[in-house]
Amino acid sequence: MLKIDDLSFGYKNKQLFDGLELNMPAGNIYGLLGKNGAGKSTILKLIAGLLFPQKGRIDVAGFNPGERTAEFLSEVFLVAEEFELPAMAMEQYLKLYSPFYPRFSQELFDHYIKELEVEPGSKLQALSMGQKKKFLLSFGLATDSSLLILDEPTNGLDIPAKSKFRQVVANAIHEDRTFVISTHQARDMENLIDPIIILDEGEVIFFQDFEQVSQKLTFERMSDLPKDGDFIYAEPTFGGFTVVKKNQTGVETNMNMELLFNAVVNGKEKMYEAFTN
Amino acid sequence: MNKHFDISRFWMLMRLELVRSKRAIAMLSVIVFGMLFFVGMLLSLAVEKHTVVYDPEESYAFTLIVGGFVITSLAFSELSSKLKRYNFLMLPVSALERFLCMWILTTIGWILFYTLVYTVFSLVANPIGHMIYNKVQFLDFNPLGSFALTTMKYYVVSQGIFLVGAAHFKGYVFPKTLFVLILFAVVCGAIIYFGLRDQFLCDHYCNVSTGECELVETAETHVIWEIIQGAFWWALAPLSWLTTYLGLKGQEV
Repeated sequence: MLKIDDLSFGYKNKQLFDGLELNMPAGNIYGLLGKNGAGKSTILKLIAGLLFPQKGRIDVAGFNPGERTAEFLSEVFLVAEEFELPAMAMEQYLKLYSPFYPRFSQELFDHYIKELEVEPGSKLQALSMGQKKKFLLSFGLATDSSLLILDEPTNGLDIPAKSKFRQVVANAIHEDRTFVISTHQARDMENLIDPIIILDEGEVIFFQDFEQVSQKLTFERMSDLPKDGDFIYAEPTFGGFTVVKKNQTGVETNMNMELLFNAVVNGKEKMYEAFTN
Repeated sequence: MNKHFDISRFWMLMRLELVRSKRAIAMLSVIVFGMLFFVGMLLSLAVEKHTVVYDPEESYAFTLIVGGFVITSLAFSELSSKLKRYNFLMLPVSALERFLCMWILTTIGWILFYTLVYTVFSLVANPIGHMIYNKVQFLDFNPLGSFALTTMKYYVVSQGIFLVGAAHFKGYVFPKTLFVLILFAVVCGAIIYFGLRDQFLCDHYCNVSTGECELVETAETHVIWEIIQGAFWWALAPLSWLTTYLGLKGQEV
């Protein structure tokens, strides 16, 4: 579905990617995590054809995104972190924009806006940022595009909306579709993204699916840090520590996405060792 | 479905652009009408008290061309806004369809719209003007007359420059394009004056004894002037359109 070969890209004063490789088969909700400035939004823009690589090749469903052909654009839908909708009523937007997407389903759209609690028939300009995001997400899901790109989708959503968002997105995926969700709020993506990709300073430092993480790591609360220092990463919490360790017993624990992210970013070598041995 | 041009997709884009600008079109009609009536007609007749004949064609040329340049500068206004660029660039249409749509709307569309508004204006305003200034003769405006058609021709050829500006500049497109145009004209003018002055002077006959020179050929018939004219009529527009298309194709966020 999505393949990146030997990609190099940088801005005037900063080289971001140098020889980046990434392969994302269809049918998954990929979570792209990383600190601010790690290159998450840039890679999404490159995938969407909004930026052109300096070197290397990107293949999205057989298309070269840089050519930005109409066929490619009808197979890719991007919900950017910040965007502006045209000043018109919701119905008019649907009437004017949906014909550009050959598999758009009005029925699905109605279902999604109902689920996400967006008032049908509203003027788009009158909606709050969160409502606009839910509207655009519903539209994007209803296009049935092969690739749906969501950049920081939970920014601006309240807590119940975040939960609904996870449900709706999880139910919309099928084997011919791929979702790529970029976020720096790892906790919002729990129980949704699989596999997890972590970017740091323009490099993919972690690319594992949920099952692998559960098999290789444990997430435990401890009153004290292990004396032998046999852990990958630990964070002080109220009354003790939350610790990421190698899973040596085979018993799976509940994954803590935020802790995993911090463990990967702060303990790259230990994490690499845990997954290679 | 063609990779670069699909007629149904093109019409969808055309419809989208027209619906999105319908409010602007309505406002523009009122503004154009009001400006022509109050400023172009009543005010000018009040200031120039000795006017005997009011010819609407005079202001038609200026307003069609300048108005068209302003409208053309707004053709890809979404590119100027960081938040609107995503919507613009992610819409499933090709760069060729984008270009053709805006080219049609800002040339044929603008000419038809403006000429229609202007014709209606002259039909309505002339009798009113005659009631107020009964000594002034008000001429009819002929939208298919040679003056109007020549003006349209000049507009179609030159507006491509502003389409280039719309596809390349982010914000303040009209003044930026004008600035570049003036700069270009000054540079070209200087080069022609200092570099080719002698060639133009060759076409003068000078009397050695009196030192007086006589023009043998007019500048208009000089070969360089003919090249400039040829470039204006035949090369400027296609070059501008190609540059606009390439500018749209190479857009990034």
